[in-house]
Amino acid sequence: MELSPRPGLGEIFLTWLVIGIQSFGGGSSTFLLIHETCIKKGWVGEDEFIRDWALAQIAPGINLVKLTAMLGHRLRGWPGLVAAMAGLLLPSGAVTVLMTAGFGLIRSQPLVVAAMKGVLPATIGLTLAMGVQMAQPLFNRAFQEGRVRLGAHVLIMVLAALLMLVVPSISPVAVLLGSGLAGIAVFALLPSPASAVRQEGEDAG
Amino acid sequence: MSPLEIFLEFFKASLFSTGGLGNLPILHQDLIALGWAREQDFVTAIAVGNLSPGPTGLWSVSLGYLLYGWLGAALALLALSLPPLLILVVSNLYNRHQGLPVVQDFTRGLSLGVVGLTLIVSASLAGSAIVDWRGLLIALAALGMAVSKKVPIVLILALAALAGVLIYL
Repeated sequence: MELSPRPGLGEIFLTWLVIGIQSFGGGSSTFLLIHETCIKKGWVGEDEFIRDWALAQIAPGINLVKLTAMLGHRLRGWPGLVAAMAGLLLPSGAVTVLMTAGFGLIRSQPLVVAAMKGVLPATIGLTLAMGVQMAQPLFNRAFQEGRVRLGAHVLIMVLAALLMLVVPSISPVAVLLGSGLAGIAVFALLPSPASAVRQEGEDAG
Repeated sequence: MSPLEIFLEFFKASLFSTGGLGNLPILHQDLIALGWAREQDFVTAIAVGNLSPGPTGLWSVSLGYLLYGWLGAALALLALSLPPLLILVVSNLYNRHQGLPVVQDFTRGLSLGVVGLTLIVSASLAGSAIVDWRGLLIALAALGMAVSKKVPIVLILALAALAGVLIYL
């Protein structure tokens, strides 16, 4: 995929400001907007994006802030990182404080209660859509590598989900590290019949 | 409680957790024990974090405001901005070794794990967010529109809010 030229600091700041300020409804809509915006602008490819998001899961702090830090750094080094984080956090942080001050006043307004009853299910649909979109490049590649490796992909994904479901108190970090180790074990044991294709794919990414 | 103590408390909670609400157990345990915050403060802050723009993790900023006004909010924001910078160390290590097959296999497994956990988180959130079949329809409609990539997220949420008002008011 052909990526666009590097944007200026002002554009980075404004882009994350727009994302931060319009993503009412918490993290999932913020994530979806970062994804949509960066892909559309050609700032990052789909598989680089999911790699950044995967790495963001295993370091401390808010995942979206880590993702923003990485993307900003990718675009323009440390200044890009600061511009992206400031754009994401300062305005939306200020709105969060104002809403905290005003929340007690509107919390029980029937109009607000009814609107939220529509918004909350929609955020679930949006979260699922994000899962589908993240899975697409992974499974496209697995599909080319034959049935056995495709099955191994499904297995790792389902086992991670089941582990979290059965042992809710388990740390997500532990589950993800386990998935990574399972990836090493399984993919080393199951050499790809189309390893040439795979190598090409990795190089392009 | 002094401003420095507030900063250190939020910093510690963010450094030893991951995810927007990962710092909740540490903050809850400490601030309640210290008598700096009440249960009610946590409920309010989390509700605002879910409604307000930006990451849900900004709930900490809301809590900071409830503890110490604008200064508390600013300290909480600073405290949660610093630990994420460690991601650059992680991603630097990754970039240096990404050509190795073992690293590629590891990140592939990791990405699959992320997808799996996303599904589980959606399912557990759905339990409280979707209260009846109409809510389920709204969720499915949002899923379809988002996967099609033809409708902007903001418009999807606005339509959902409108649907909520029309159905439940």
